[in-house]
Amino acid sequence: MEEKVSRDPLVIAGHTLSSRFLFGTGRFPSPAVLQQALEASGAEVITFAVRRVNLESVEDDSVLQHFEGKPVTYLPNTSGARTAEEAVRIARLARAAGLGNWIKVEISGDSRSLLPDPIETLRATEELAKDGFIVLPYTSDDPILCKRLEEAGASAVMPGGSPIGTGLGLLNPYNLALIAEQASVPIIIDAGIGSAKDAAEAMELGADGILANTPIAKAQDPIIMARAFRLAIEAGRLAWLAGRIPRKKYASASSDWAGSLFEAAAGADSGGKP
Amino acid sequence: MGREAWNDFRLYVITAESNHPGKSVVDVIEQTLIGGAQIVQLRNKTGSRDEVLEQAKALRELTRKYKVPFIINDYPDIVLETDADGVHLGQEDMPIAEARRLLGPYRMIGISTHNLQQALAAERDGADYIGVGPVFPTDTKPGRAAVTTSYVTEAARHVTIPFVAIGGITLGNVDLVLAAGANRICSVSAIVGSHDPAAMCRSFLRRLEAGAEESKTVVMNGREEHTRARTVEQLVIQAGQQNKKLVIELNGIIVQRALWAETELKSGDSIELVHFVGGG
Repeated sequence: MEEKVSRDPLVIAGHTLSSRFLFGTGRFPSPAVLQQALEASGAEVITFAVRRVNLESVEDDSVLQHFEGKPVTYLPNTSGARTAEEAVRIARLARAAGLGNWIKVEISGDSRSLLPDPIETLRATEELAKDGFIVLPYTSDDPILCKRLEEAGASAVMPGGSPIGTGLGLLNPYNLALIAEQASVPIIIDAGIGSAKDAAEAMELGADGILANTPIAKAQDPIIMARAFRLAIEAGRLAWLAGRIPRKKYASASSDWAGSLFEAAAGADSGGKP
Repeated sequence: MGREAWNDFRLYVITAESNHPGKSVVDVIEQTLIGGAQIVQLRNKTGSRDEVLEQAKALRELTRKYKVPFIINDYPDIVLETDADGVHLGQEDMPIAEARRLLGPYRMIGISTHNLQQALAAERDGADYIGVGPVFPTDTKPGRAAVTTSYVTEAARHVTIPFVAIGGITLGNVDLVLAAGANRICSVSAIVGSHDPAAMCRSFLRRLEAGAEESKTVVMNGREEHTRARTVEQLVIQAGQQNKKLVIELNGIIVQRALWAETELKSGDSIELVHFVGGG
């Protein structure tokens, strides 16, 4: 049993990760908190965005300077893209920086919900996979679409629990469980997670990992919340491996009735409980 | 000499006798004037006051003949005695206000600066121009850390009085200094230490003029910019962005860092400078 628990890595495109937590780096109150939260999370994959530099400043204000020398895998995202072409362009810019070839495809189809555009996401995934990228598309929680993304070359598929930054948790656990069940690549639940409880729930549904940013960065104490997520993800994973009990309508006692102090003696007057 | 004419200079020459053993200061400076030097400073940190005075008198006469302004490093008294056009101060010398009191309102006061704070203070205190440097390490001022072209860029953005980039500038690196935003440069050893100071001045002037002519308009991160940068690398330096981990896209095509120096810019180019920010 120890073997099953202690050697249970997440493998994405042949890369072995001991943490199932993918860590978003946005909106932290300070670089120091960001660094300590990452430390507390145990995450080995970090996400960030590609943006124009601020020409008014000569200081290096890139987020990456805070991770120099750390053994992390970089997962740049294509946020800001509205079409497959824009996402491919951003992915190539990120790769040109020499940060590896992982890319989170994120193509918003609507600025209010930030929900992913399924058609463009599929197109971008296909093109980037052909171009040699390790593609992790952020997608809606549609089981058929998730399968199509896998077939298009995604190395992991990342359905959302609920819209980005809402903290609404898992709005469609049925779909997420189905997606996880039928997938042959890792399923990472990305977006909408509100707290450690949602992360644990997602893992218990069979997800292979969690990508979270806002619930850590905007928690009252991001460092403690990062640790809470680490534990919740681990707990959820263990529960999944252990196998939960089936749900029943009525109670079933934890101890047999037999031997109860109030059980009528054998052969005596049967005035006790059934 | 009126201030307006004085402001036109682009090539500033400073004496450095130790750079030309066997040739007199006056002969070497005359060569630079023949080559087109537009302002001359007498800098003599080792000689006695009498020696400085003698050189100042000779150079005053020479610069009058060539109709260029003549500045003396330190010695406001010699400025007055020889009717030089101004004084150049270091950060450790007398305050600008004191020099102004000694020299009156019409003579030039220049001061060496090594960071933007000093530059803005000099401007506030009434300096007529500032030196910005040393841009590169130089034997003329050993032990002084180079300020690099990023200070030139800062000066170009924030300093409104004339500024002269100085320090280790040669024909080999002058384009980078111009690209960083300098309009005026001063070279000491590369000019007076040259076997042909006149030809060296002409070469510098050609580079200064080429820089001025090649002004082009590019769109950088969606904003229209006028630049004299010849290459992508020069544009990055001019924008003061060289210390960032950047990715560059020129007209939709990524330019690998190794190719920045050889990728030429032309008017109408669209360039994106991107980097990485926090995100999920």
